[in-house]
Amino acid sequence: MSFLKNSSLLISILLVAVGLAFILIWLNMTKSTNHADLKTVLTTTTATFGTLLGIITAGLMFTQGKFSELASELAEKSPDYLANVLSLERIQSIETDLLALRKVFSQLAASATIVEERNVYERIVTKASSIFVDFAVLLNLKLTQEGLVDAGLLVSEMDSSLYKVYQKRRQSINKEWQIFNIIKQIIDTWEAPTAFFSEKSNRVTPLQVDLKSSIAILKLKESVDKSSKSIRSEVAKTLGGLNDEIGEISKRLHEDRIPQLLPQMKQASTIRGKYFYLALAFIATPLLINLLILPQISETTVSFFQQIIPILSLLSVLGVIFLLLYIHKILNV
Amino acid sequence: MKKPTEKRIRALFAEHSIPPMEVIIPILEKAGHGEQELTTQIYDTYSSLIKGLKEILGLKDKNMKTVAKVWEIVLGFEGAKFEPIELTESRFSFSIPDCPMLHVGKDVSLNVKGKFCDLICTAGSRALMDTVLSPHKGNCTWNKALIRGAGKCTVVFELVKVT
Repeated sequence: MSFLKNSSLLISILLVAVGLAFILIWLNMTKSTNHADLKTVLTTTTATFGTLLGIITAGLMFTQGKFSELASELAEKSPDYLANVLSLERIQSIETDLLALRKVFSQLAASATIVEERNVYERIVTKASSIFVDFAVLLNLKLTQEGLVDAGLLVSEMDSSLYKVYQKRRQSINKEWQIFNIIKQIIDTWEAPTAFFSEKSNRVTPLQVDLKSSIAILKLKESVDKSSKSIRSEVAKTLGGLNDEIGEISKRLHEDRIPQLLPQMKQASTIRGKYFYLALAFIATPLLINLLILPQISETTVSFFQQIIPILSLLSVLGVIFLLLYIHKILNV
Repeated sequence: MKKPTEKRIRALFAEHSIPPMEVIIPILEKAGHGEQELTTQIYDTYSSLIKGLKEILGLKDKNMKTVAKVWEIVLGFEGAKFEPIELTESRFSFSIPDCPMLHVGKDVSLNVKGKFCDLICTAGSRALMDTVLSPHKGNCTWNKALIRGAGKCTVVFELVKVT
């Protein structure tokens, strides 16, 4: 981390120095601008932008290559996940458990009078519903892959708001590898780190932790509410079942390094998208200069067009800064 | 610590998790009962946890060094920072800058927090000493500085001298 901070600081200093140098050069040039000078300046700018565009294009191709490589690595793994890791029996068992949790905790939340207790139960309902929707999406994809018809049994258990979420998530899967986003989301909603002391209040608790909390609460309530005992034992059984089933998926996911690969994909995708606009700017500016400005320059219009030189110099400086940042990010992909 | 050992300890902590105080305490406060059950839960959880730790790490000595080692691991895995102050044959003391009581809602009074601080620390320390020191006896004291707004709370374990 300290290396990254140091390199960022160095890059910042370098960029400021480069920026100042550029501005000074351009300002000095504008002092004695005449028709020929302005043409030279604009032609030089066009050439500079062209060179930078070449570098950006090379970088974009590299990022695209990296992105494709990661995408194909994940796409190769996805059929096995849909066919074996996410077996029909496993999905059905998990969905049955999640439905049971939703039902039990919706009732408990409705009858709880203490806010903190109700919050725990409501959180469980929300997270169980979220995982339920995710598995419904995966089941739909699995059935589609196997050429079977989805009877929509899971969808029939959703209310209108959950169905909207289901539709949205289903539509977000356009490529094979994107199923891993859904699987990772399930694992993140389910699994828990062990720490309970620090920063607990700021952390979003996973469903597993909330279920353990609910078991602790139900245990405490057993002395006054006899039904708590049977509910607790049911919840504990369901928790055990879900732990086994989702644990298996999580284990495989970690063995395949998917949690490491997905952020890399995301980073490559972000760089690719963000700096595509940089490439557009570097294409558009020389075109603008060559097609619109240069033909219009004459002795009479030079004083008007010399006003654009500071804008172009600023654009050049910004372009170089973004380019350096871009290269820096590419090296970290 | 070797990877398989660390993995086993993580699994142990996942199996025996402590009830969430920030949720439990407001519930018990408003319900007006259940303290005994909470004490039992904490005692049982820590006893199982410490027994498991002793087994995994092969700790057999019934002395303060083992108490310190076990407690260091428990706090470490729970994500709590702590600073050792003293470790002798008969005494182990340390300070902590954070405790579950600090995460209990602001609407819970200091008196209630103090009561539950005693309850939790009594149950937890009793479990630790019973599991590690038995048949020797020990005492544990804490100054509740954290819930009074001070930066650190000091906890002291002491062996009880048999006369």
